[in-house]
Amino acid sequence: MKPSLPGVSTDRRTLLRLAGLGAAATMGGATLAGCSKEAGSKGSATQADAVRAVLPNHKPAEVLKPDIPGEGPIPDGYLSYPKDLVDAVTEQPGKGGAAIRTMSPWWGPTPPTLGSNSYLAAINTKLGVEINPSLQDGTTFADKLNAMLGARDVPDLLMAPNWEVDKVARFSDAVKALFEDLTDHLKGDAAAKYPYLAALPTGSWEYSVWGGRLAAVPYPTDGPFAWALFHRKDLFDKAGLAAPTSPEELYELAKKATDPAKGVWAFGTVFDMVQQFYGCQQTWRKKPGGGLEHKFENPAYKAALEFTAKLFKEGLVHPDTVASKGADEKQLFKAGKILMFQDGLGAWQGLQGEQSKVLASFNMQPLPVFGAAGAQPVIWGSEKPIFFTFVKKGLGADRVDEILRVLNWCAAPFGSREFELREYGVEGKHFTRAADGSPIPTELGRKELGGQYNFCRVAVKVKSGDTPDYVQQYLDYLKKNVALLEKDLFAGIKLELPANWSKIIQPTDDKIRDILRGRRPVSDLDQVTKEFMASGGEEGRAFHEKALADNGR
Amino acid sequence: MSGPGTAGAVDAPAAAGQAPPPTRKPRGTGRRRHRASLGARLRRDWPLLAMTAPAAALLLVFHYLPTLGNVIAFQDYNPFVGDDPVEAFLYSEWIGFGNFEALFADPLFWDAVRNTLTITAFQLVFFFPLPILLAILLNSLVSGRVRGFVQSVVYLPHFFSWVLVVTFFVQMLGGAGLLAQEMREAGMQPWNIMTNPDTFIVLVTAESVWKDIGWGAIVFLAALAAIDPNLYEAAAADGAGRWRRMWHITLPGLRPVIVLLLIMRLGDALSVGFEQFILQREAVGRDAAEVLDTFVYYQAIATQQWGLGAAAGLFKAVVGLILILAANKLAHRLGEQGVYSKS
Repeated sequence: MKPSLPGVSTDRRTLLRLAGLGAAATMGGATLAGCSKEAGSKGSATQADAVRAVLPNHKPAEVLKPDIPGEGPIPDGYLSYPKDLVDAVTEQPGKGGAAIRTMSPWWGPTPPTLGSNSYLAAINTKLGVEINPSLQDGTTFADKLNAMLGARDVPDLLMAPNWEVDKVARFSDAVKALFEDLTDHLKGDAAAKYPYLAALPTGSWEYSVWGGRLAAVPYPTDGPFAWALFHRKDLFDKAGLAAPTSPEELYELAKKATDPAKGVWAFGTVFDMVQQFYGCQQTWRKKPGGGLEHKFENPAYKAALEFTAKLFKEGLVHPDTVASKGADEKQLFKAGKILMFQDGLGAWQGLQGEQSKVLASFNMQPLPVFGAAGAQPVIWGSEKPIFFTFVKKGLGADRVDEILRVLNWCAAPFGSREFELREYGVEGKHFTRAADGSPIPTELGRKELGGQYNFCRVAVKVKSGDTPDYVQQYLDYLKKNVALLEKDLFAGIKLELPANWSKIIQPTDDKIRDILRGRRPVSDLDQVTKEFMASGGEEGRAFHEKALADNGR
Repeated sequence: MSGPGTAGAVDAPAAAGQAPPPTRKPRGTGRRRHRASLGARLRRDWPLLAMTAPAAALLLVFHYLPTLGNVIAFQDYNPFVGDDPVEAFLYSEWIGFGNFEALFADPLFWDAVRNTLTITAFQLVFFFPLPILLAILLNSLVSGRVRGFVQSVVYLPHFFSWVLVVTFFVQMLGGAGLLAQEMREAGMQPWNIMTNPDTFIVLVTAESVWKDIGWGAIVFLAALAAIDPNLYEAAAADGAGRWRRMWHITLPGLRPVIVLLLIMRLGDALSVGFEQFILQREAVGRDAAEVLDTFVYYQAIATQQWGLGAAAGLFKAVVGLILILAANKLAHRLGEQGVYSKS
């Protein structure tokens, strides 16, 4: 007999009777009370030392000197496109093995599949082994991933976003059961066999360790910021609106810009950025007296909540954002129906390039970061890789070697022919060259390219013909604000969160959303916080504090 | 893995499939004629058996086999233990009724059950009768061409996905939609239709009606076509007016089908849809939009508490079965045939 939860059996019986299952309760009551156990994982944390011991030795591989050298988590920038490209990989990576099935997330129209896609054909010929990619809608990727892991049916290469991986309970178990242990292939000097994998930043490899073993190849971030608040600078200028320097100015500006009669609203989704303006942490922050403070306990969070709730209440947020999950804010932004929305910085170049074809004056820029009265803004982010690429378990050492050589090819740095082919496709077909030699994607290029080979990379920012000012602006924004980046307390510690913590997230999000949309008053935040802490929040705090203490932080 | 929705759905068609007497009839006549040997019957019936085989195989593979997976309702199921999915079933820890305890102790679960039942009850009154009315209306149309056209138009939305239906409603009735823009131009304050939690139940029912009224009318149209036209002629000759004919001929003719569908709907009382609610959840909040299936999604699937999800699915199936049995019994008491009957 397993021990039962203390003091619950009578409640259960009452509830069962309420449900009209009196008979079942009477029969099963004894069993219910005596022979049950709580389900769910308690979470685990891998020590930073154990993580460090399995990492590849970092060896930079630079083909071309950057015009704007990166520093820390900021990538290198190139302002001109090189005239002479070099061959970075001399030996064909594939050994003509069976086709490698892959799955990756993709946010956009699905490109044609193998057999009717000349981009895939061109690269597969180069690789000497067929890659057969399956691109899945990024917004619903979690559904696919969970079903796949649950059924233990994974492709040869699986690329998953970090935020989805973080949500999977018992991911260490999944890694052990389903994915190849890459430690012996890549640990220490062994990585030298795959020079461009060895060139990936150590900061991103640190996150690719589960259960003390190296289990994935990272796709490093090209900027450590989680969000930016984009605005239509062209429309701002036209209306004579200056960039705000405080939340109050932002509000005044939004009031002026919103005009429902014309179908124009100031905002799409903005809450995460507002929290940063108010100086609120993403989740945890160290308290001066020791211990961790959750953001709900920070007065700055309440202020941000109040401010954003006001935006909703006064109708400054586009009704589509209010009415339906996953409103297409990019579309609204392009059409000028919203003037500001938050997105990852990764959205910038694609959107700018695409729309400037339609509207030459289109100019999207991140709004300069400002703080609320008396408070310093913060920026959320970390060096966490954007994606992890996993290799299916049990393919055999030779096949794993072949796959790693393919990944090595895909990671070839800027300035190489491999990079150009992977990033832009075939010249004359998928891109044409601007006068300065930089590639401009063609219609076919936009249609056929969908990140099918973006398994890993050394992040760089390269000037392209359709977004001439982007690289300078992007790196300027990073450099200007990198000092505001709030340090990731758990960098290099692999956390797997307790089930009770994962379970409480959605109900709490629901309550916060009720406050944002005005269905509950802001003063209810105290109550929400109390409920959150009681039903998993405190367990989460203890878990995180212990992880820090165990690592001497 | 058996999804939480399937268990309930399995029972209904399976029960319905066994119901009609034909399987029993040949047996009865066979007994009278000295039952033929198995070999002889096989030789005689093999084409029929061959035709049933694919359907039976599908049922076995996609309904009965996954039903075994329900054992995880009693496990702290971890899909990653052992070397293959079968071993994962064998090696996961048995925790008795732990998942059910967690489920029944969760106030969010009961919120979801309450919402689901409210919506079911509302739709039984305001949605269920509409396809019947539509069928009667269509049936009374004289012009075959007009009827065909109207039928196609009202069937069509059934094949749209919920994403499309919800987007359509947002574009029409949302704050930036057609109606709101027209009202603004007329100098009026637009109504809040898409984001009002209080009227959400009306909204989802309206969406369901728009999507499925034509589809739901098909069965009733077939039943109407089966009513003997002589009855109408005789009644008309006796001086019965339009309404009397409807009351004394049409509706009694439809009654068995109405009762059958009503019972099946009751068996599905705890399923009111999933996508429709997940799409509009943020707009009206959890309190209005959380139904059992979205609860299972957020608390079990999204957090990989597979055991908890299976427990909720079992709960749904058991409640559905009880409701079907009870409704069927009631139908018998009232002299109806119901879904099935004991010989």
